Amino acid sequence: MDELIPANEKAGVPAAGALGVADFLPAATPYAIDPVQSITEVLKAVDDKIPDFAKLVRTDKIALLKDVETRHVVDFATLVRLTYMGYYSRSDVRPMFGVGAHPVQPKGYDVARESNELMDSLTAPVRARGQVFRDV
Amino acid sequence: MKNEPVDVLIVGAGASGAAIAWSLLETRMRILCLEQGPHLADKDFPSRDDDYELSRFGKFSCDPNVRGLKQDYPINADDSCIMPVNFNAVGGSTINFLGHWPRMKPSDFKTKTLDGVADDWPVDYATLSPFYDMNDQTTGVSGLAGNPAYPKYSPPLPPIPIGKLGQTLAKGFNEMGWHWWPSDVSILSEDYDGRQKCVNAGTCDLGCAAGAKGGTNFTYWPMLENAGVELRTECRVREITVDQDTGMATGVIYHGSDGQVHEQKAELVIVACNGVGTPRLLLNSKSKIFPDGLANRSGMVGKNLMFHPLTGVTGVFDEPMKGHEGPMACSILSQEFYETDATRGFVRGYGLHSGRSTTPMTYALGGFGIDNPIPWGDEHRDVMDNVYPYIAGLTVVAEDLPEEHNCVTLDPNLTDSDGISAPKITYRLGENSRKILKHGEERAKEILLAAGANKVLSKGDDAVWWRAGWHQMGTCRMGDDPSRSVVNGWGRSHDVKNLFIVDGSIFVTAGAVNPTSTIQALALYVGDSIKTNIETLFD
Repeated sequence: MDELIPANEKAGVPAAGALGVADFLPAATPYAIDPVQSITEVLKAVDDKIPDFAKLVRTDKIALLKDVETRHVVDFATLVRLTYMGYYSRSDVRPMFGVGAHPVQPKGYDVARESNELMDSLTAPVRARGQVFRDV
Repeated sequence: MKNEPVDVLIVGAGASGAAIAWSLLETRMRILCLEQGPHLADKDFPSRDDDYELSRFGKFSCDPNVRGLKQDYPINADDSCIMPVNFNAVGGSTINFLGHWPRMKPSDFKTKTLDGVADDWPVDYATLSPFYDMNDQTTGVSGLAGNPAYPKYSPPLPPIPIGKLGQTLAKGFNEMGWHWWPSDVSILSEDYDGRQKCVNAGTCDLGCAAGAKGGTNFTYWPMLENAGVELRTECRVREITVDQDTGMATGVIYHGSDGQVHEQKAELVIVACNGVGTPRLLLNSKSKIFPDGLANRSGMVGKNLMFHPLTGVTGVFDEPMKGHEGPMACSILSQEFYETDATRGFVRGYGLHSGRSTTPMTYALGGFGIDNPIPWGDEHRDVMDNVYPYIAGLTVVAEDLPEEHNCVTLDPNLTDSDGISAPKITYRLGENSRKILKHGEERAKEILLAAGANKVLSKGDDAVWWRAGWHQMGTCRMGDDPSRSVVNGWGRSHDVKNLFIVDGSIFVTAGAVNPTSTIQALALYVGDSIKTNIETLFD
C-alpha cells in the first residue's frame, strides 16, 4: 500500500500503508462490490510470486505490482481506487493538499467577492467588443 | 393514504414539477405531486460529515446505478458513451446539480431557419424571457448584468466570487480577445428571501446543506407546501391511465410508501420526470389505444435524445489556484464560439466553462464525471504534490444535435425495485459534436497558455466524459406537427388533451448551456398557457 501512495518525506506527507489505510478497505462495501475478495486476490497473486514481498527492494516491489496489475486488472484497480478513497477521506490528510480538515458545511471557505472596480476592469475589454449573439 | 381525485397531478418534484405547481397555485385547483424519492432533511447532506467526499462514490453519487437506492431506477447505458446522471428526491436533480444557470440564446430556438439543422422551436426567446426573469427572482440568481452574449437582462443578485482561478483565466481570454463573463448561477451571493448565502464549500454536488443553492427543495417547495400543494414522497408512478373511449388521461397507478399499489384519479396529468424518466413512464403506459406507449402516435417518444458531450483541458500554473473553494462548477463562462461560423467546419457551437477544481480524493479518482484514476506510485506522488494544487481547467460544453437513433427505450430485462421496466440508453456521438469538441479543446489550450499555464494537460483521446449525462433533452419534443413531435407549443400532448409535459424532454434542440434555467422557464410558460387557455384546455 505504501507503494500505491508513497510518502513525500520532505513535505511530511505519509504513505498510505503507514497511515493505516488498510483498516478502511474491509469496510469499503458501499464503494466496491466485494472489496475483501478483490484485495485477497491481489494479495494472493503477490504471495504466489514472492512470499516475502516486504523484503524486496523498492524497484522489485514496483515491478512485481505492475505485473500483478496486468494479470488482475479489475481487482488491482479496485485496490487502487479504495486505497485512494481510504487515504484522501481522512480529515488529517486534506490539509496536506491545501484543503480544509473541517467538514465543508457549515464553515466553508472565505472567498472575497471581487470589487466592482476589479470586475469592471476585467470585463471592460469584453464589453468593448460588443454583442456576440445573433439577432433573430 | 387518501386517493381522492385531484384537479392536477404532477409526477416528479424536481425542477419543472415544482415550477409548474407554483405557476398553477393561483388557479386554486387541488394540486398533488407524486415524488419517488424522499424529502431530505439538512442532516442528510454529507457535507456536514468529516469524510464527506466518500459519499460522492456511494449514496450521493450522481449515478443512479452506483447509488442503487430504493427510489432509484437502474439505467442500462451499455450502448452509450455517456451515462445519464440524476437524483431522486424532493428537488430532483436540483439536489445535486451544480447551479450553473446560463440561459439559452435567441438563435437556439431557430436553428433550422438560421443554420439549416434540427428544427425551430414553436416558442422563441422573447416569449420565454419574462419567465426566465420570473424564475430567476424566485430561485435567487447571482450574476453580472450587461453580458454582451445575451439580450439585456439583470440577475437579481451580484455575482459570486470568480476567485483567483476565474481571474487568472479571464486574463487569458482577454489576452486572446475572446468573450467571457462571470457565470450566472442559482447560488446566493447574498442572503436572500430567508435563505443563507453561499459559504463556498465547493461541494454543490453533495446537496447544499445551507440552502444557498437553488434546489427546488429550498426555493419552490417550502412555498408550495405552505400554500397547500400536497406532496406525496416515496411514491413511484407505474403508469398513466387512460379512458379507452375518450382517450383522456384519468390518473396514475403508483407504488406508495406503504408498499401498496394505488390508483390516483386526476383531471389533468403533468409529467415532470426529465429526459429519461418521462419517456420511460410514457413507454410503460401502454394500452389498447396506445399500444406503443402513451402519447406516442408520432413514434417520437424516447427519440432524439440529446446530452451535452463534455471534454476538458487543464492548465498547471505556478501558484496554487484554490479551486476547491467556491461553487463547484461556476466561475466564468466564454461564449465566443457559441454561434455558428461556417469556417470552423461544423454548425452550432460550444461554451467554455471554467468550473473550479475539486477535492483531493475526487481528483485522484479521475475528476468529477470522468472516473479515470491518476496513476499509483511515484507518478501519483508527483501529480498530487506538483499538479493538483496548481490547476485551473476549462470544460468544453458542446451543443448536441437531435438524431433519432439516439434514444431512450425500455430494457427487456432490467427493472426497478417495484418491477417496473427500466430505461435503456442508445447514444453515440455525432460527427458534428466530435468536431465541436476538437475545436473547443484546441481553443482551451490556447487560452490556458495565454493565462500563464506552464503546462497544459488534455486526455488526447476521442472519448467524452462518461459519468456526465446531466442534461437529458429532446425525448418528447415540442412541435406544431403531431407526426413529428409529442407535445405542442405549450407542452400539451398532441394525442392526449389533458396530458402535459414540462421537463427537458420537450426541448427541440439542446443549445450549449446547462438546461435547468430553460426547463423552469418553460414550465412556467406552460403553466401560464394552461391558465390562459383554461376555458378550452381540452379542446
